[in-house]
Amino acid sequence: MLISWDWLKTFAPLVCTPDELAVRLMMAGLNHEGTTAVGDDWAIDLEITSNRPDCLGHIGVAREAAVLFGLPLNIPPAAVKVTGSAVGSITKVTVHCPELCPRYTARVIRGVKVGPSPAWLTKRLATIGVASINNIVDITNYVLMESSQPLHAFDLAKLAGPEIIVRAATQGEKLVAINHHTYELDAAMCAIADARVPVALGGVMGGAVTEVSSATRDLLIEAAEFSPMSIRSTARKLNLHSDSSYRFERGVDPAGVDWASRRCCELILELAGGELAEGVIDSAAASEPLQPVTLRFAQLKRILGIDVDSDAARRILTALGCGEQSADRDNVIVVPPTWRRDLTREIDLVEEVARINGYDKIPEDVPVAMTASTRSPHDRVAEKVRRVLTAAGFNEALTPSVVTEDFSAPFSPWTDNPPLRCSVPVLRRADLLRRSLVPSLLESRRTNEALGNERIELFETARVYLPQGEALPREDLMLCVASGRSFVDVKGALEAVVASVHAAAEVASEDYEHPLFAAAACRLLLDGEPWGFLGELSKEGLTQFDLRENATVAEVRFGRLLEIARLVPKYAVVPAYPAIDRDLNFVVAESVRWSQLAATVRSAAGEHLERIEYRETYRNAKDPQLGKERKSLLLALRLRSHRGTLTGEEADAIREQIVAACQKQHAAELRA
Amino acid sequence: MGLAEFTAELEAMRSAAATAFASAADVEALEAARVDFLGAKAGRLRAAQKGLGAVAKQDKPLAGKHFNEAKQAIEASFAAAQQRLASNGSAKRTGPAFDPTVPGTPLVLGHLHPITQTIDELTDIMGRLGFAVADGPEIEDEWHNFEALNIPLSHPARDPLENFYLSTAKAADPAGGKLKQAATSEPTLLLRSQTSTVQIRVMEKTPPPVRIIALGRVYRPDTADATHYPMFHQIEGLLIDRHVTMADLKTVLRLFASSYLGSDVRIRFRPSFFPFTEPSVEVDMSWNDGWLEFGGAGMVDPNVLRSVGYDPDEVSGFAFGLGVERLCMRRHAIDDIREFYKNDVRFLEQF
Repeated sequence: MLISWDWLKTFAPLVCTPDELAVRLMMAGLNHEGTTAVGDDWAIDLEITSNRPDCLGHIGVAREAAVLFGLPLNIPPAAVKVTGSAVGSITKVTVHCPELCPRYTARVIRGVKVGPSPAWLTKRLATIGVASINNIVDITNYVLMESSQPLHAFDLAKLAGPEIIVRAATQGEKLVAINHHTYELDAAMCAIADARVPVALGGVMGGAVTEVSSATRDLLIEAAEFSPMSIRSTARKLNLHSDSSYRFERGVDPAGVDWASRRCCELILELAGGELAEGVIDSAAASEPLQPVTLRFAQLKRILGIDVDSDAARRILTALGCGEQSADRDNVIVVPPTWRRDLTREIDLVEEVARINGYDKIPEDVPVAMTASTRSPHDRVAEKVRRVLTAAGFNEALTPSVVTEDFSAPFSPWTDNPPLRCSVPVLRRADLLRRSLVPSLLESRRTNEALGNERIELFETARVYLPQGEALPREDLMLCVASGRSFVDVKGALEAVVASVHAAAEVASEDYEHPLFAAAACRLLLDGEPWGFLGELSKEGLTQFDLRENATVAEVRFGRLLEIARLVPKYAVVPAYPAIDRDLNFVVAESVRWSQLAATVRSAAGEHLERIEYRETYRNAKDPQLGKERKSLLLALRLRSHRGTLTGEEADAIREQIVAACQKQHAAELRA
Repeated sequence: MGLAEFTAELEAMRSAAATAFASAADVEALEAARVDFLGAKAGRLRAAQKGLGAVAKQDKPLAGKHFNEAKQAIEASFAAAQQRLASNGSAKRTGPAFDPTVPGTPLVLGHLHPITQTIDELTDIMGRLGFAVADGPEIEDEWHNFEALNIPLSHPARDPLENFYLSTAKAADPAGGKLKQAATSEPTLLLRSQTSTVQIRVMEKTPPPVRIIALGRVYRPDTADATHYPMFHQIEGLLIDRHVTMADLKTVLRLFASSYLGSDVRIRFRPSFFPFTEPSVEVDMSWNDGWLEFGGAGMVDPNVLRSVGYDPDEVSGFAFGLGVERLCMRRHAIDDIREFYKNDVRFLEQF
């Protein structure tokens, strides 16, 4: 809202500078956006919050200034001289839709002389960026910017018949507005019509046909109240926003409607001549009086934390326009002014007293009670996960929660339900809430490839949105990794993540086939429960995401890590006796898996097996012992007793047990 | 031979030996010098020892003492020279020259996203002030996102254009015939537009006192540009108890801001308007002789307290909220919010 400094001073005898005023207003709730010189005037730009439509005019702002500086407020009486016949004999108003237009008033002035506005008027409008059209239109704009009540002047002669009909528009009805665009109306919009067609879009914009021109002689002055919700939806639907719609959306002062109408007529008679018809047509009875509100003085201290003198509080409320009904030592009962429909509760009065009294009086060094707070297990596990992955060279990414259809469909391992869809896309074309982080991280990989980046190692912890038929979807936190490294490299990183939250937890792998993945892929289990998926991308997968380089992705449930986490590990006695290492190189059929062989080794080795380490798999079709059907698995054992030093003979005996068991269960033979 | 003469001879020898040993460039030169001074048969020290016999008897004890001192000094300077040659001589002798300026083996570390780092810092500070982290869903119903937060249906914040509502049409609903009934009984869902929803969820389940922070992703329709993104992060604090005042709010925010900026800052309140707080304020913190916008705050509106079953005459409280991206951008001088979600590794690796 732009305010003219010169204009503002006509309502309150300000002696400060425009800058001092701006600071005071800002500290009382009208945020200062800037001040610019316009000629010898200043345009002060104020941000008006949606609860203060009364400050969308100079008088409202002047009232705030007057209260802050303790000055009187001078509002023009808007007394008009009536010389014409009764307005009812000239025109008539019928309101068919009080729900859209609770109040409509009309006055008539005949015999005006349309022409240019005087310099003082165009200058004030120019300061606040309003172009001058002609004296009549300028006056309606002037009174709007003065009082915040929108007005409209019709050329009475252009109306088809003298009657104004306020009704819901019929579907498809058209109106050419004064901006010369044609709008198609619908039944939720309020039309101001003559006997035949809409002549204005109520509360939003007038029509071109009945607009005031240089030939206009007789005027109908509209001052009305329109339903905020209907104005908002009309302006939105038509993408037609005006100074008028902006104010009606926020609500106007019901008691200010008639004042604005009189003020408008007063200025027209003064600047354009003419004869004002006697009386006003007013469609509605006086609006309901505002309910009184009680302020318990003790609430000021209770909410603000400071003592505010009860007399000072009463003075502030009165200065703001509240009517005091009664007051005693503990309470005051006031009726808020009609322009402050935001004041309906005690807390509203507390805020008024607080902001005028000044928030700078509230201390910032009171003792606040101490409370213990504990970091949640979630945060502690998340920190460990992030620490391991950054140590392993992965950068943390954050990707949007929504994806496009192309990115939603390829991978949804957690649900078969269709994804939730936003009614409008959040980002370009992306309107589906993701069911997996994998497509998002692959897209980030592609972005990085396109930028020519070489080492693209990313991870993210974020939610996926899994519709489950009930009210709210499940929001599961996932940990996703997308890497240029191999299956075993990423698997190793995940195993390190697990070890960081629980050293003894076990990661197991099961077969998993998916078109996105190559043969190197698996389903992961963590301590026997489903954990997630890991795989190298197939050729098709790479093509689908437009990737040039090989990629490995994994997505696992963060929640499972939380379930198995041992955040406070217990000390295990460090062994006192030396260990003995033994290597074994088995030749087995291709069908024998590491996990099977390792399980046999473990059970055959017994209690002295401290560690079994996978070393390598060797294949060579030309090797006579291996051929095409067999491979060798090299493993290293560490044996140790907790009761004494293990001898070489004991170690060899264990080794023999292992060899025998593997021979028996897997037809494994030692590599020659 | 007089004592003085003998002592002068020793002194000259000692200094000559020190020079010879110190200037020996290699082991061979040092060995030659050793033989010259310390040689068992014809060394100069040996010769001097013989000279001891020619000293007058009464001077002998003192001359012997001087001799021993000189001998020790010469042996010490030889040992020092030997050590000197041993320590730097080996590299010279074997293999190519060592270049200590070659870089170390690279250790490639990953980086946490700057938003995560900012959130960690903020939650850490609030944790020290006694605020525990609370969590809630990102997909919300209208009760938690609006109604309970004192945002009635008529409020502009509920406009479909101001929010990401979810489509209700369930084309693929296998329930088929029950579709119509299901559609009407199902609540309208939307992506939360603020983390205040978490306040409601916590207060609904917890009797006062409550001292929490909520943080996470929120969504508002904005065209993505350098300063706007339709998804961003908020951090929000809530304290409800008996006798909580705006002075408590100001104090907590001052401690928070001082911890974050690492120096003692002051807090300024400017009146503002939010549906879920009253009084509502914009919070500024003093910074470089000016004021920096920090976020929004206020005393929890009595309607919000009532909506979760609290009695506004029994308890009061405050809430405040901050945009994480904005703080993070200012801290690291990032000028385009879209960088956060592009995940260019050259961006991520800077933090």
